[in-house]
Amino acid sequence: MEAKAVASTKLSPQTGESGTRRRRRGWVHSSKPWGAIALFIGPVMVYYGVFIIYPVLATFYYSLLNMTPTGGRIVTTFIGLGNFQRLLNDGIFIQAVKNTLRWGVVGPALEMLTATTLAVLVYFKVPLHRFYRTAWFTPVLVSGVIVGLVFRWVFNVDWGLLNVALRAIGLDRLALNWLGRRDTPLWCVIFVHYWATFGYSFILLLAGLTAIPEELIEAAYIDGASTPQTVMKVMLPMLRPTFVTVLILSFMGKMRTFNVVWALTGGGPMHSSETVATYVHTLAFGQQSLDLGYPSAIAVGWFAVVLVSVGLINRWLSRRVEQ
Amino acid sequence: MYKRKIFVFVAGLVAVATLLAACGPAPTPQVVTEVQEVEVTRIVAGTPEVVVVTATPEPEQPSEGPTAIVWWSHWANEPTKRVVIEKIKSDYEAEHPDVKIVLTWWDKNPMRDALRNTMTAGEGAPDITSDFCLPDEVAAGWCLPLTDVLPWENFVPGTKEASSYAALGYPDNYKYDIGLSMNMIFYNKEIFEELGIQVPDNYQFTQDEWVEISEKCSAAGYAGAADAIGNRNYPARFPVWFALFSLVGPEEFNKYYSGQQSWDTPQIRQVLDWFVQLRDAGFWPSTFSTMTIDEFHVYFHTQHKACTLYIPSWYAGRAFKPVEQGGQDPNWHFGMLRYPLMDGAVAADMLYVGYESGYHVTSATRHPDIAKDILVFASQPKYGALWTAVTNIPSAIVYDPVKDWPSDELLTELGVVPGQWNWFWEEYNKVYGGLQGGQAPTPLCDKFEQAWASAINEGLPLGLITVDEAIEMMDANLCK
Repeated sequence: MEAKAVASTKLSPQTGESGTRRRRRGWVHSSKPWGAIALFIGPVMVYYGVFIIYPVLATFYYSLLNMTPTGGRIVTTFIGLGNFQRLLNDGIFIQAVKNTLRWGVVGPALEMLTATTLAVLVYFKVPLHRFYRTAWFTPVLVSGVIVGLVFRWVFNVDWGLLNVALRAIGLDRLALNWLGRRDTPLWCVIFVHYWATFGYSFILLLAGLTAIPEELIEAAYIDGASTPQTVMKVMLPMLRPTFVTVLILSFMGKMRTFNVVWALTGGGPMHSSETVATYVHTLAFGQQSLDLGYPSAIAVGWFAVVLVSVGLINRWLSRRVEQ
Repeated sequence: MYKRKIFVFVAGLVAVATLLAACGPAPTPQVVTEVQEVEVTRIVAGTPEVVVVTATPEPEQPSEGPTAIVWWSHWANEPTKRVVIEKIKSDYEAEHPDVKIVLTWWDKNPMRDALRNTMTAGEGAPDITSDFCLPDEVAAGWCLPLTDVLPWENFVPGTKEASSYAALGYPDNYKYDIGLSMNMIFYNKEIFEELGIQVPDNYQFTQDEWVEISEKCSAAGYAGAADAIGNRNYPARFPVWFALFSLVGPEEFNKYYSGQQSWDTPQIRQVLDWFVQLRDAGFWPSTFSTMTIDEFHVYFHTQHKACTLYIPSWYAGRAFKPVEQGGQDPNWHFGMLRYPLMDGAVAADMLYVGYESGYHVTSATRHPDIAKDILVFASQPKYGALWTAVTNIPSAIVYDPVKDWPSDELLTELGVVPGQWNWFWEEYNKVYGGLQGGQAPTPLCDKFEQAWASAINEGLPLGLITVDEAIEMMDANLCK
């Protein structure tokens, strides 16, 4: 576009046009080709509108409705905030919220701690660092459903790898029915999802470390700082903006994840590993009810919770970064 | 400049074409000249083939030719049932060259989602489909009445009534049933002999004897029963179901089962306390929480790791298939038992009889007469006999075993070895022959169904809750 504008300006002295007119004609003739832009962007925008915006708006609308099959048709009734009131008395939903929030706190903390440590190690090129970089990132490439199924075998009480290993080293008492109790399934889910996704945070943090100017690190060494001091006082503070992004992405991931939980525990037993995502799916598709209003209300309510949470995390961490 | 304009023009043309193609209305399924075959992925070689549908069938192109009837059915992983339905399809097409049936095999859950989506959207729904939740489908107006359509005299008594929901305000009949579902108990003869367990002459152990059997089996390294909840929300209900049915009889059982009656009663406590005793005696496999339904079939019939198996008669659908497909060896014969004799039982000599999944005609069909006619055609006694001969599951269609039974040639042609499972029927007749059948047709409301799954299928067997807590959960979710 710029090239066209320049060409037009060059031509105008030969035609003797005034500066104003030149500018106007330049704007008219050298402006962006809106037709072509519309043709290119239009389909994407239509796609976005139809498959993203419309379903979101429809979910908001459905959350205000009750849909009951009766008398040969599905009767849709506007019940205002009735579905949201029902949420407050839904014990399973409250259990799912508790589980998800627990995961949202523990998961990112565990992930950030490990990913940061490993990123620093790889940055300093520990032996076999190239192998580690690949190995730690590889689980990210595996489908969540496959990860869930594989770990379902790993946690098998009889022949699962974990219990076999525990028994082999004489820790038979710790060989539990990991997925069949009330107290362990959620932690299994947290661990498995952590295993499957921390590589993503690791790569982002490693990229953040790599972007730190080497002069700063060298300056620290020249000033007599040890490697741990350099890491703690120079590199990690410089990493904070990346840290904020990675933490938010990690948190959002925990709030939304469905496939790993579904394949590993299905939210059970007795909802002990139920998350909001699995509960919405169960209500919307797993049960016999044809009512999409209530699951939509959960989705909307949870959307608000995640939005506010991400906003708060972002604001809190951004302030610390500025300080 | 020219190149750029041409590029913009061509790119724009492509974009517009793509957009229009994507947004254009899908052709309506109607009349076809060249019927499209549904694209399938074959996952098992050999006969009978197991096929799984990879996508919703593409709508037929409207043009001249035979009328296409789209028929969705689950049972994708139960090859013998598929053989029967496919035979009905081909027979109907042979007699009606103007009709082409597009039969699609699904797993149950994806089919349920697809049916719900297409019926709600008003486009793409089949003409005939398996039922997955008939009461709601009827209430939503998705099923056409078959009251004056099906030859009900061809079916076993009670079939017509079981397809009606008069209590919910829908007195018509909506479902075509081809198979019965009877709750049965199998046992491993070799293990019983090894452990010195003698089966009584009437094939019925008392409730205390069942606990002893579980203890003996567990001590010898076997599970009391092959059962697990890895991918189903109901298998662990069977012991409660069978015992309660036997204890209180069909009518009372129906009230408990469907959440019409409080569970805080001495009868329920008796059954649940016994259920807990069984658990503590080592009734469940150690892999109870993760094993899938197919796996616990194999656990029983191939791995021989459990003494008994509580199972409806649809066991045959999964187990009586070639060994290389995960079926059982036809030369391995298990025994059968009657339900545990609960103290004070009023229906000790009864057998629970229900129905397999069946079919109904959807209100979305453009050819209701043809769709209904297909189900009428499928109601012939010879198909009841074929169902029993091929699937080894009792049929809901009454047939004359002499006149209607398929010939050995036909069975061989369908991939069935005639007489291979005769021992199964001999055992069945010996143990269950002459028992009175009873059923509980009242549908459950959703919240009570969830309570069954949570408290009885998971909580009690895994020792996560007490009997009191289970009763409290059930009572908190009653349907009334």
